[in-house]
Amino acid sequence: MSDATKETPGGLAVLRELPSNVWNSIFRGPLPSTDLERSSTSFTNFFLHIHPVKVNRNTLRPAYTLGLGLISLFLFLILVVTGVLLMFYYVPSTTQAYDRMLDLRGTVAFGIFLRNMHRWSAHGMVAIVFLHMCRVFLTGAYKKPREFNWVLGVVLLLVTLFLSFTGYLLPWDQLAFWAITVGTSIAGYAPLIGKQMQFVLLGDTTVGQEALLRFYVLHVAVLPAVLVLLIAVHFWRIRKDGGLSRPEKPADPVAATGIVKMRKVYGLQGFVRGPFTKVGNVPDDSVYSWPNLLMSELFVFVLTVSVILVVSLMFNAPLEQPVNVMHPPNPAKAPWYFLGLQEMVSYSAFWGGIGIPGIMVGLLLVTPYIDRGTKGVGKWFAKERLMANTIFLTLVTLNIIFIVIGTFFRGPNWTLVSPF
Amino acid sequence: MAVAKESHSTQPASDASMPRRRLLAWLSSVGLFGSVVLAAASNWFFFKPRVTYGPNARFAIGKPEDFPPGTRISRDVERVCIAREGNKLAAISTTCTHLGCIVGISDTGFACPCHGSRYDQDGNVTGGPAPKPLPWFQVTLAPNGELVVDKNSQVDPGTYFTL
Repeated sequence: MSDATKETPGGLAVLRELPSNVWNSIFRGPLPSTDLERSSTSFTNFFLHIHPVKVNRNTLRPAYTLGLGLISLFLFLILVVTGVLLMFYYVPSTTQAYDRMLDLRGTVAFGIFLRNMHRWSAHGMVAIVFLHMCRVFLTGAYKKPREFNWVLGVVLLLVTLFLSFTGYLLPWDQLAFWAITVGTSIAGYAPLIGKQMQFVLLGDTTVGQEALLRFYVLHVAVLPAVLVLLIAVHFWRIRKDGGLSRPEKPADPVAATGIVKMRKVYGLQGFVRGPFTKVGNVPDDSVYSWPNLLMSELFVFVLTVSVILVVSLMFNAPLEQPVNVMHPPNPAKAPWYFLGLQEMVSYSAFWGGIGIPGIMVGLLLVTPYIDRGTKGVGKWFAKERLMANTIFLTLVTLNIIFIVIGTFFRGPNWTLVSPF
Repeated sequence: MAVAKESHSTQPASDASMPRRRLLAWLSSVGLFGSVVLAAASNWFFFKPRVTYGPNARFAIGKPEDFPPGTRISRDVERVCIAREGNKLAAISTTCTHLGCIVGISDTGFACPCHGSRYDQDGNVTGGPAPKPLPWFQVTLAPNGELVVDKNSQVDPGTYFTL
């Protein structure tokens, strides 16, 4: 209690110490300079405590993760920020929505720029989340104990697609109206409850004011809340499932002799409380999250934001003619990521719109429970996983082929045309 | 704590208490699960509108003189095609049975711009992915001399209203 005997500073001293007192009350301490302080960033900072104290070197290898999961998160953050700003000027009404789009172009400061950012981030997020899934598959990262996190990831992809789909209607232009007309009709082909589901989704028999309002509420409130919750569980599971997947460690030559036995497992507190870190005494593949992981994250963040800013400055988000309920554009096309679906739907509405996509999603969901092999985790295109990777890449390629056909090779009345 | 542990020991106090506990646990589970099902069902009824604000399914299209013999016009607001041959008149849906786009009138009947479905003059499918022919709607003559189409009542294709 030596502090109590100290003289309480007064007068000028209070003023002199004010900045540092405020700073220390917020940040608790100086920038970390020792391993103990580096560890404490993960315990004492609300925003950083999602990080482990140390991460495996493999986690930080850009060539392993390509940063795709992080990019997805940052795109989502951009979407939340720009989306909330756009909400201040948007009205979900069939008579006003399109005019508000024009106002964003004409009168709202930075309106067109915000809309561009929102649109391109949305396209980007769909693409990056999909690529993230491909990365996780091709590196075998969904295997035990990460099966359930893969399932969560597949659900996250579906929610992302549904978010994008509901957002598509909001500008109330020709593209929006007909894409949603086609999309919700596909739901109508689901067995038994299809027609009922379509009616509940639209709130009416055709796409109109009720559908616009419902899609708006789903887009700005319900689905983002679901997505945030699922993302939280997804991240939490990464930590609890033992961090990112990585190749199996080659056996420790000393331990392999069997003479030395590992008797003690060091917990988190074990090396934080002690005078020295015990971790350094054995060969260790991990590095401190501060600053290694933090800097990587910051780099990916700056990169993502920069790309979106540049793209939004260069290209304007498309806005077609206002809705004309009487004249569908010819051909009426869905957003690019649904064009593969639309192409399949042109052969058979049930199989293209419900059957095959349903089977695909079902296969994705059960993948980690069918493919129980433990070899080839943490390596791109591992030889041990040749068959699984081949099947996956074949399906991905087929999907891309359908998207390319739907995008470039389909003309008026959905007839085959050559883009060249 | 030791006392509490004693009284909640894992060994059953008597043979009779365990089935009672299990029954209570079982009943509460059923109650909880039942509430979840009820809540989900209520949501369904909440989200399914009892009234809709869209256009009326029963509407007047005008006097018979407005449609001289040989007329084939598409009323896109109501999504019907009014076809008159001689003194027979029919209202054929122009909503594609594939995915709900509006079909246009073509030389051979109807053509859909979205996925290339084609229909003949009577709405039968002649090509493309459409699974069903275009439905025909009931046409009646109202007392004020106007023709009325009711999209809620379908009639067999080929059932004309005779003027």
